[in-house]
Amino acid sequence: MNKVLIVEDEQHLADGLRFNLEAEGYHVDVADSGESAQELLKKSLPDIVVLDVMLPGKDGFSVMSEMRTAGQFVPTLMLTARGRPDDVLKGFAAGADDYLTKPFELSILLARIRGLLRRREWLRSSPPAPADHDRFVFGDKSVEFEIPRLRVGDQVFPLTLMEANVLRYLIRHEGKAVSRKKMLEEVWNLHEDTDTRAIDNFIVRLRRYIEDDPARPRHLVTVRGVGYRFIAHPA
Amino acid sequence: MIVAGRRKSIAFFIALGAGLILVTLLLYIGWVLLNWKNGILIFFSVLLVMLIISGVVLNTIFLVREIRRNAQHDAFINAVTHELKTPVTSIRLYLETLQTRAVDDEKRRDFYRIMLADSDRLLSTIEQVLRTGRVGHSARVLNRSAIDLDQLIETCLDRVRKVHHVDPDSIEFKPGPPATVFGDPDEVSAAVSNLVDNAVKYSGERVHVRVETENLEGKFACVRVIDHGPGVPKPELKRIFKRFYRVPGPQSTRVKGTGLGLYIVRSVAKRHGGRAWAESEGPGQGSTFVLQLPLAKTNGTERQS
Repeated sequence: MNKVLIVEDEQHLADGLRFNLEAEGYHVDVADSGESAQELLKKSLPDIVVLDVMLPGKDGFSVMSEMRTAGQFVPTLMLTARGRPDDVLKGFAAGADDYLTKPFELSILLARIRGLLRRREWLRSSPPAPADHDRFVFGDKSVEFEIPRLRVGDQVFPLTLMEANVLRYLIRHEGKAVSRKKMLEEVWNLHEDTDTRAIDNFIVRLRRYIEDDPARPRHLVTVRGVGYRFIAHPA
Repeated sequence: MIVAGRRKSIAFFIALGAGLILVTLLLYIGWVLLNWKNGILIFFSVLLVMLIISGVVLNTIFLVREIRRNAQHDAFINAVTHELKTPVTSIRLYLETLQTRAVDDEKRRDFYRIMLADSDRLLSTIEQVLRTGRVGHSARVLNRSAIDLDQLIETCLDRVRKVHHVDPDSIEFKPGPPATVFGDPDEVSAAVSNLVDNAVKYSGERVHVRVETENLEGKFACVRVIDHGPGVPKPELKRIFKRFYRVPGPQSTRVKGTGLGLYIVRSVAKRHGGRAWAESEGPGQGSTFVLQLPLAKTNGTERQS
């Protein structure tokens, strides 16, 4: 059974949506604020999120972009009373997969939810690309992007998809300083003023695997005022 | 992002103004140093420079005010859009549900109740917006008649209790000496309703509101609405009565509103020759809103206005 998370603070709307989605056979959770949505996202791992924009506390746009920067790629449909082109674009820039303005037609909302879930199924069932050829070796270390994992000597560290993508991007620009903003745009596809510090967490984690001494990095070097630089063979 | 952009443009215009004044002063000092011997010329030049500087200052002030007003207008459009579209969306959703699905009797009654509540909400937003247009024109003649204030307040309280589904005891009414006000019953009850409605809305889960009336030296009747809600920060006490203004922060997103309610209260008070104000010890201390209206002359021969 597919799980839907509804983030909507208007009780009446949330109840109406819940009734309909349950009638369609989905399992439904409802969050009434941005903060509780983030909690439920981690706890109940929904298959699809229906996200309102005007929420008490954190608004839908920031919930959206924080989800994406944290590596949560669950299909998300934004649902909001704001229908101006600016708002729609802002929603997509934050990482929404679909956008519907209120008032909406129930049948269309349900069809779009089905569409997003179908796409997700296709992506899941497509066969994994052959491993092996996509690897990068430096020193006694090697990254296997397709698995993805990292070998250091005879140790093996599994990587998350996002960690692998960050590493791939840095390796591709080996020796050059890469800004945090650029990484957000290229790796996360976010073209918004999101908090770029989220990247630092990824770097800290990667350093723990790659560096002999994470406090004194030699491969993943901080470039002050810019971002990071990857050095394959430090002097 | 929009807020940051606006602050930037405000800062820019203030800096521009200050820069222009500085340049004017420097040029002027240079000029004085060159022409210091000619007394009359110096006198007129001082006047001229003063004029230029005050022009720049005035222009900057107006620009900044205009930017602020635009910001409030945007916020108002957003709030009204939300307040109008949300109930319509809800009503539509339930109607479509009833049309396309088999709904059992109990649920069906539930849906009807929800749709009624939503249409009430829609209506009250529409009335609020229309009333703002009406009270804005001070030239409009009031439909005055003698109002029994206590009775009017009771009616308002009943309505608020029903709309918000609150326990009748959570809104208490302590009438003072009986008071008759000569005014437009529709407007006065809108003002009182707005005050009580706000008190309930901002109280959150635990509603405890007290409404009192008081007679001020036989000239004015005072309606006090006292809540134990989040309170109002001191610098905002006056501003909240401005049209479209809502105190920025988490409260204004938790509690939905158009920023018109208190503006209507103040306008109604003014049109009736009274006033309205707010008192609060600060955030978390609750607040008291007071509506003061002139009492009707007891012999009933009030002049028409």
